[in-house]
Amino acid sequence: MAYGFEAKNDSGNIIINDTIENLHFVGKATRGSNNSDYGSFPGYGGSNNSLDGRVIHYYTITCSGTPVAFIKPTDYARWHGIIKQSVSGTTWSFDVMISGTSTSNPPEIYCFVNADDVPSTSETHGMIVFKSDGTTKTFDSRVQPLAITGGANAVAPSDPTNSSGLPGTSTGHSWNYSSNDHDFKCTNRYNEYTDSNINTSNTMFSCPSLAQAVYKRQQHGYKESCGFLGCCCQDHHSTAAWWVMYRSAFRLRTNKFDAGWSVYAAGYSFSSSFESGGWFGGGGGSYSTGSMPYTAKTINLQSNAYIIADSSRYD
Amino acid sequence: MSYGLSVFKSDGSLGFSTADVTWQTLDQFTVAANASVSNTYNEASGMTIIAQRQMVNVPPNSQEDYVPNVSISGTTVSVAPQSGLSSSQCIIHVLAQDT
Repeated sequence: MAYGFEAKNDSGNIIINDTIENLHFVGKATRGSNNSDYGSFPGYGGSNNSLDGRVIHYYTITCSGTPVAFIKPTDYARWHGIIKQSVSGTTWSFDVMISGTSTSNPPEIYCFVNADDVPSTSETHGMIVFKSDGTTKTFDSRVQPLAITGGANAVAPSDPTNSSGLPGTSTGHSWNYSSNDHDFKCTNRYNEYTDSNINTSNTMFSCPSLAQAVYKRQQHGYKESCGFLGCCCQDHHSTAAWWVMYRSAFRLRTNKFDAGWSVYAAGYSFSSSFESGGWFGGGGGSYSTGSMPYTAKTINLQSNAYIIADSSRYD
Repeated sequence: MSYGLSVFKSDGSLGFSTADVTWQTLDQFTVAANASVSNTYNEASGMTIIAQRQMVNVPPNSQEDYVPNVSISGTTVSVAPQSGLSSSQCIIHVLAQDT
């Protein structure tokens, strides 16, 4: 090159130069409240009632620029995902979902921005690399530049549930039948990606949750009730439904990055109706509870880039 | 490492080293809802490029929020709504690896 700066690694690959901007540590996001739920189907107590549960922790950070957020798990056995990122002025909010219902061991969120967006430092020693415009920083050793130690594309498997296939709808059940026969837990469903730089002590990752899926099992029941000599029959109908909404989530293991799912919301609904009239002149009626957010489908099931780094560099 | 750059923190521990860096941030930009964007990065010629997407300001509850598609051809990164669907506002984080 005719001018500027270039640093390479041992393999001769360009790591720092005067054209590509590196990210720099701006701070850890502050954790606020949390919401824990869905260790089981609400309002249901029969078979296959268990779910994996989830806790949503809410974080904020105020900074210039657009932060790239890394999740540093405290409990590496749990699944993690940033399910929502929003901004108001210069305050960024992150909704971080982890599997399980225990609110202990929340993850830490490390945030990185371009060098020009990091608050000024009083540090007088170090090295700054500018672009050819002479003002835009690509690298500033004083404000903890991000060293990305691994990355690739990852995607969760298409089926989030431990019971394979779409649960679907069945008919022919007895009136008021309600017994879930589909395992909606998702701990066994993931794709793993090998990365020798991952450990379960210091590794943090960035991989926003994109995919969302709604799965539903529905059972229809029916009974015909007739009077003397088959006279004046009444129809009795019932519908039982279980639904779960999932978001893609991720887990770190030694040398492995897992892309899977975690339950975000769930519900159980049951309705029963019977006709009026009949031999005894009984009144009609119905009963129902619960509702589903939208029709069962999977959206945004696409590969997304994940990147990993060593959190201990920024502590 | 045999050559390169290491930066140490005030306590003497390693803060940054070119020895273990594998990906660099090439760009970061926000694409408005339903918009299409195409950027070319000549400085990344010969590098491998990947892109990370993060939807912004969309609720993860009862709405169907669609992320835009990202396609990478050479040094050009293109973002566009999924076919027939409206897309949500999205942050695109472009990474490059010198291979």
